[in-house]
Amino acid sequence: MKKRSGKLLPLISICAVLIAAAVIGVIYYRFISRRIYEDSTGHLEEIYGQVDRSFSAFVERNWGLLNSFDAYFALAEETGDADDRAIADFIREKEGYWGLSGFYFLGEDGACLAPGDVEAPAALTATWDSLQELQEPVIVGETLPSGQEVTVFAAPIRPGSYQGFDYSAIAVSYTNADLASSLNVDAFSGQAKCFVIHNDGQVLLSTQTGGNIFENYLLYLQATSDLDGAELAELQKAWESGVSDLIQCRIGNERCCILYQPIGYQDYTLLSVVPESAVSAGFMSVQKTTITVLVILFLLVGAVIVIPIVRSSRTELQYRERMFDVLSNSVDDIFLMLNAKDHSVDYVSPNVERLLGIPAAEVQRNVRVMEKCAVDYNVVIPQQTLTAIPLNGNKYWECEYMHQHTGERRWYRMTVYHMRIQGAEKYIIVLSDRTLEQQMNQKLQEALDAAQSANEAKSNFLSNMSHDIRTPMNAIVGFSVLLEKDADDAEKVREYTRKITASSHHLLSLINDVLDMSKIESGKTSLNVDRFSLPELLDELSIILSPQAKAKEQHFTVHVQGAPPEQLIGDKLRLNQILINLLSNAIKYTPQGGTVEFLISDLPQSAPQYAKLRFQVRDNGIGMSPEFIKTVFDPFSREISSVTNKIQGTGLGMAITKNLVDLMGGIIQVESQPGQGSTFTVELSFALPEQDEQPDWYRQKITRMLVADDEEDICLDVREMMRGTGVEVSYVTEGAAAVERAVQAHQRGEDFHVILLDWKMPGMDGVEAARRIREQVGTAVPILVLTSYDWTEIEKEAREAGIDAFMPKPFFVSTFWQSLQPLFAGQSQPESQPAAVQENVMEGRMFLVAEDNELNAEILTEMLAMEGAQCELAVNGQQAVDMFQSAAPGRYDMILMDVQMPVMNGYEATRQIRSGSHPEAKTIPIVAMTANTFAEDVRNALDAGMDGHLGKPIDMAAVRETVGRLLRPRSSDGGKQS
Amino acid sequence: MKKRSLLLVLLALSAALLLTSCGGKDAASDENTLTVMGKRTDLEKSYMTSIFQQYEQATGNELEIIAYEDAEFETAAARQFAEGHVPDVFLHFHNADLSRFNVEENFYPLNDEPWAADLTDSARAYCEDKAGRLLGLPFWESSVSGCYYNKTILNELGLRPAATQTEFDTLCQALAETGYTPICWPADGCTWMPQFGLDPIFADDAALLEKLNKNEIGYADIPAVTDMVQWLSDAAQKGWFGPDFLEIGWDAISPALGSGQAVMTFIWDTWFYTDLAGDGKYTVDDFALMPVFMGTADSGTYEGGNLNMMMLNKNSPKLDMAREFLAFCADPENYNVAFDGIATVNCFTGQTTNIQSPMVTDASASIAANERVSTAATRIVGYSAEDVSAALDDLFRGRTDVAGCVKRMDDLRLGEASDHGPGE
Repeated sequence: MKKRSGKLLPLISICAVLIAAAVIGVIYYRFISRRIYEDSTGHLEEIYGQVDRSFSAFVERNWGLLNSFDAYFALAEETGDADDRAIADFIREKEGYWGLSGFYFLGEDGACLAPGDVEAPAALTATWDSLQELQEPVIVGETLPSGQEVTVFAAPIRPGSYQGFDYSAIAVSYTNADLASSLNVDAFSGQAKCFVIHNDGQVLLSTQTGGNIFENYLLYLQATSDLDGAELAELQKAWESGVSDLIQCRIGNERCCILYQPIGYQDYTLLSVVPESAVSAGFMSVQKTTITVLVILFLLVGAVIVIPIVRSSRTELQYRERMFDVLSNSVDDIFLMLNAKDHSVDYVSPNVERLLGIPAAEVQRNVRVMEKCAVDYNVVIPQQTLTAIPLNGNKYWECEYMHQHTGERRWYRMTVYHMRIQGAEKYIIVLSDRTLEQQMNQKLQEALDAAQSANEAKSNFLSNMSHDIRTPMNAIVGFSVLLEKDADDAEKVREYTRKITASSHHLLSLINDVLDMSKIESGKTSLNVDRFSLPELLDELSIILSPQAKAKEQHFTVHVQGAPPEQLIGDKLRLNQILINLLSNAIKYTPQGGTVEFLISDLPQSAPQYAKLRFQVRDNGIGMSPEFIKTVFDPFSREISSVTNKIQGTGLGMAITKNLVDLMGGIIQVESQPGQGSTFTVELSFALPEQDEQPDWYRQKITRMLVADDEEDICLDVREMMRGTGVEVSYVTEGAAAVERAVQAHQRGEDFHVILLDWKMPGMDGVEAARRIREQVGTAVPILVLTSYDWTEIEKEAREAGIDAFMPKPFFVSTFWQSLQPLFAGQSQPESQPAAVQENVMEGRMFLVAEDNELNAEILTEMLAMEGAQCELAVNGQQAVDMFQSAAPGRYDMILMDVQMPVMNGYEATRQIRSGSHPEAKTIPIVAMTANTFAEDVRNALDAGMDGHLGKPIDMAAVRETVGRLLRPRSSDGGKQS
Repeated sequence: MKKRSLLLVLLALSAALLLTSCGGKDAASDENTLTVMGKRTDLEKSYMTSIFQQYEQATGNELEIIAYEDAEFETAAARQFAEGHVPDVFLHFHNADLSRFNVEENFYPLNDEPWAADLTDSARAYCEDKAGRLLGLPFWESSVSGCYYNKTILNELGLRPAATQTEFDTLCQALAETGYTPICWPADGCTWMPQFGLDPIFADDAALLEKLNKNEIGYADIPAVTDMVQWLSDAAQKGWFGPDFLEIGWDAISPALGSGQAVMTFIWDTWFYTDLAGDGKYTVDDFALMPVFMGTADSGTYEGGNLNMMMLNKNSPKLDMAREFLAFCADPENYNVAFDGIATVNCFTGQTTNIQSPMVTDASASIAANERVSTAATRIVGYSAEDVSAALDDLFRGRTDVAGCVKRMDDLRLGEASDHGPGE
C-alpha cells in the first residue's frame, strides 16, 4: 500500500497545481476583463464627450453666425450702405467660410428665398413651425426637393426686406452628410454610429456612411434590443432629463455600448452606439497577449516540473518498445497484444507491413484487417475461441498468409497467450514464422511427387512400349514362323509377307518416335531453315493423308483462307512433321465417315519481312476429356478409353509436335469436347524470301476468269488471292450458272480468258459444265478443274469433255500459273501415266553400295536384284572411295553410302569422292543410307556433298522415288542425269 | 400530354368556328370581320372583352378572335405567320419574342395615327422600336415595378426607406438583425427580378446595348453586370433573401408579405390588387414604394410597365378598317369605359376611370426621377428571364462563382439568340 501511495503522490500534486493555476487564471481573467472594460468605456465616454462638446460649440457658433447676419442686416438697413448685391456678397462669403449648404430668408409661413445659386425649397415649413412654436433659435431637419437632407439652424430676426421679399427670420443649412462627417469618429474601426436625436428618439442627423435609414432610434431599440419596456422608458426619461450615461444592451446579434449626452440645446441628445467588441478591441488584444504569455509561462513551468517525471518513466518504456521493434524487425515472427475486453490492439510489431503488406497503423486500428491476408480461413480467432482460453493458458493454430502486395505466401504457427499485464487482461499473439520449414516440406513433397510421377510415367511408358513393341514383334515373329511353314504356298507367303511388312513399319515408327522424343528432350534438335513452297507442302500433305482419309471414307478438305504468301523460309521437314502428326491423329481418332478439315490462314503481322500463319486441324472425332486436354502435350500420355485402346500409338506424337512448335517459336492450342471432336491450332511465324518475279498475267492476255465452286468461300478466296494480279475474277456457285456466264460472255464477245471449275458440285458437276461450255463456246477458252480428289479415275472422261488441266485444291496463284503455262505454250497437261506402264527406274542400274554390316548388305543386294538392279559392295568408306576412283566413267549410276562405318565414315568418303579427280566425281549421285534419320542427319549428309538421304530399314519405294528423282529415265538418254 | 390535348381541342374548335363562320356568312359580312390573334388569357381580360363588345355594338363589325393557350402561343402564332396567316390585329408584348414575327415586314407603323399624341411618355417609349416606329396601341393595364416595402414595419422599427444603394444595404442588414426577411426573393420560378437590376445598365447606355446585341462584347465585359451578380451573391449569403428562398416560388410572395415575415419585394403595384391575399396581417395600405437597388444604380430604378400592344397587319386588305378599330380603342370615351375600376398606371393621358395606386402616387417624384423603360427583357437579343434565373440558381447553390454565373448568363443568352435569330 505504501508503495502505491508513493506513486500517486506526484500525480495528486500535479493535479492540485493545475487546478490552482486554473482558478488563479479565471480570477485574473475576470479582473483584467473588468478593468479593461472600465477603461474602454471610460475611453468611449471621453471620446464622445469631446464630440458632444465640439458639437455644442458648433451649435453655439451657429447662433453667433445667425446673430452676425442679423446685426449686418440691421446695420445695412440703418445706414442704407448695403444694397442687395452687397448683402448677397456678404452671404456668399459666409457660406464659403462656414461651409454652409445654404442661406435662406424666411417669410410668412416659412416661405423661403435663397440668394445666389443654392437650391431652395419653396418653403421651410418644419423650420417655420418650430420657430413659431419656440420663438427662439431652432435646429430642424429638412429634406430639399432634390431629396437631399439638411440640418437647418434658424433664428427669428428683426423683419426686413431683401429683393422685395419680406422676411422675419433667417436660416443656414448644412448637408447632413457634411455634418455627419464632422461628428464621425474614426476610432472603433468605423463601427461606431452617432446620432443627434430628439428626446422621443426621432433622428435629426446620423453619422451613417452613405445615408441614414434610422427614423426613430428609440423605436429601433424597442424592436431590436434586449431592453424591455421599463428600461426603454427609463432611457427616454434620461434623455428628457438631459443626463449623460452609458448603458450596455444587445442590439440584434451584437452587444453594444450606448452613450448618451445632451447637446445643451433644446432637448437634443448626442447618441453614440458602439459594438462592445469595437470598444475593447485594442484592450482585448493586450488582454489576449497577456493571457497567452501567462499560459505559456505556466506551461513552461509545468513542463519543467512534469516533463522530467514523465520522461523518466517514458524513456524506459520507449526504450523497451524501441528495442522490441528493432528485434521484431529483424525476425519474421509477428507479435500482437490485444485488450481482452474489446480486442483493441495495444501493440503490433512493425514488421507486419514487411511480412504481410499491411501497415502496422492499420492493424492497430482494427486487427480484422489481417483477415484479408488469410489464405484458407479467418485468421482472427473468433471472440468466443479467445474467451475460451483460460487465464495464463494458451492455444495455437497453423495458418497461412499471403502478402498483400507481393502475393508471397507465408506459414505461421499462431500461439495465443491469455495473461494479465499491469492489472489488465491481454491476449498476446505470437505468429511464429514456419515458412522455411513449410517450403522445405513442400519441396520435399513435390520432389517425391515428381519422382513418383516420373517413375509412374516411365513404368507406364515401359508398359506401353512393352505392349506396343511386342505387338508388331509378335506378328513379325509369328508370321516368320508361318512363312517357313507355308513356304510353298505362294498366296500365304504373300499374305504373311504383307503382314510382316506392315508390322515392321509400325515397329519402325515406334522406334522413330521414341528416338525423336529422346533427342528433343535432350535439347539436341535444331531447325533446318530454308526456302520452301507452301503449295508444295500442302500438296505433299494431301498426297500422304488423302489416302488415309479415303480409306476411312472421311471427308477430308484443305482450305486456304485469305492470301497467305506461297514462298516461306522455315523448316519444311519439321512443319511437315507437325502437320502430319496433327492430321494423322485427326484421321486416326475420327471414325469412319467423319470429317477432317485442314484450314490455313494468314494472320496480321506487323513486320513486313515476316508472315504469320495459322494451321488449324478440325475433326468431329472422339474428342478429349477436359482432364486429358491438360496433359495432351505431355510425353507418354494417351487417353484411356475403349476407343483409344484399339488405336496404336506411343503417346509421343503430340509431345513431339508441341516441342517442335515451341522450337519454331510458335504456339499450339487445343479445344475439344468428348464426342464432339477436336480442333488443334498452330500459329507460326516464317521469314519471307525476296519476292520472285511476278507472273505477268496481262502479257499472257489473262484479264478475265470465271470460277465455279459450290463453296462460295473458295470462290472468294480465289478472288482474294488473285487481287493485285490484274485479273478480274467472276464467280458462280453452280455448274449450270458457269455455263450460262461463259456463254453470255462469249455472246458479248468478251470471253473469259480462263475458266476454273470445281469437279464435284451439286446439280451439274465440273466435267458436265465443261462439256456444255465447249459445245457452246468452243475450245479457245482454257478450262481447268479444281479438285481435292484424285482425278485419275475421271481424267479420261474429263479430257474428252474438253478439260485442259487439273489443279489440286487448295488454290494457289503460283500453282495456277504453272498449270496454265503448258496450255498457253500450246501444250496440254500430260496425262497421268498409269503406274503399271511407267518405266522401272531401277531396271539395269549399277549401284556402288558402302555398307559395313554384312546382313544389311545382303538384304540390299537382294532387294536391288528384285528390282532388276545390281550392286558392288564396299565394307567401309575408304574402300568405297577407292572403288569409285578406280572405276571407269559410267560404271556406277549411283552410290548408296552408309554413314557409320569403320575406317572412314560416309560423310568423309563422300567429301573425298567429290574432291577427287574422277570425271564423275562432282556428278555421281551419292545418297546416304543410314539409320541416322533425324533432320540434322539429313542436313549433314547434304552438307557433306550427298544428293539425298534414305533411312534404314530400307524402303524400296523410297529408293525407287530417290532414284527416279536423281536419275533420268534410261529410255531418254540411256544414262544417268548429268 | 394534357396541354397538347387541350391545344388540339382548341385548334379543332377554332378551325370548326372558322369553318362555320366562313360557311355561314355571306361575302358582305366577311368584309366586316377583323381577325384578332393573341394569348387566350390576354384576350379574356375584362377590359379587352369590354372594348371588343363596344366596338362590335358601335360599328356592327365583327371581331374573329383567334386565341392560343399561353404555353403554346409563341410557337403556334409564329407558325401561323410563317404560313402566311397573319391576322389583322395581333396582340403581343414588346419583348424579345416579338422578333419571331418579322416586325418590319408585317406591322404597320402607327406614329401618324391621331391617338398617338394621347399616349403617356412611358407608354409610348415602351411601344416604339429602336428606329422610333410606334409598333402598336398599348391597350393594357400598366404598372410600375419597384421595391415595395412594408412601411408599417419600417415605422415600427424606427427605420425609413432607402434613397441610395448604401442606405438600402444598411436597411437590409438592420432588418435582418431584427429577424425579418428583408427581401422576398422567391427564386423558384419568379424570374423577373434580375431584369430590374439590368435595366439601368442598358437603358442609360444605348451604345452598350448595341455592342452587346452585335456580340462585340459580352456580359463579362460590362462591370456593372458583375456588380449586380456580386450584390445578389452577397445578399443571398447574408440571408437577406431568407433561409429557404431557393425553394419557394410565386405562391410564397403573398403569405410572406401578408404575414410580415418579409418586408420588401421587387414587384409591380397591380400585384397588390390582384394577388396579395386579404387575410394576412398586412394589406395593400401597409405598403409603399421605393426604387429597386441591386448594385447597378446608386439612386435605384423603377421599371415602367410591360404592355400588350395591338399591332396591325400592314399587308391586310382590311388595314383601314383595322386602323379605325384602333382609333375606336384609343377614344377616351371608350377606353375609360373599358378600364373603369381597373388598377393601372395611365397609358393614355385622358385615362380617368382607372384606379391609380396610392403607392405609385406617393412615390411619383421618385418614379419620375428614376423610372426606366423595360430594357433588359425587351431589348437584349437572346435575353431570357428563365436563363438568367438558371445561372443565378447555380450561383446561389454554390455550383459556380460570380464570374462563372456571368459567363453562364452570357452563354445562355448567346444560345437563345442563335435559336431566335438576331431580333428586330
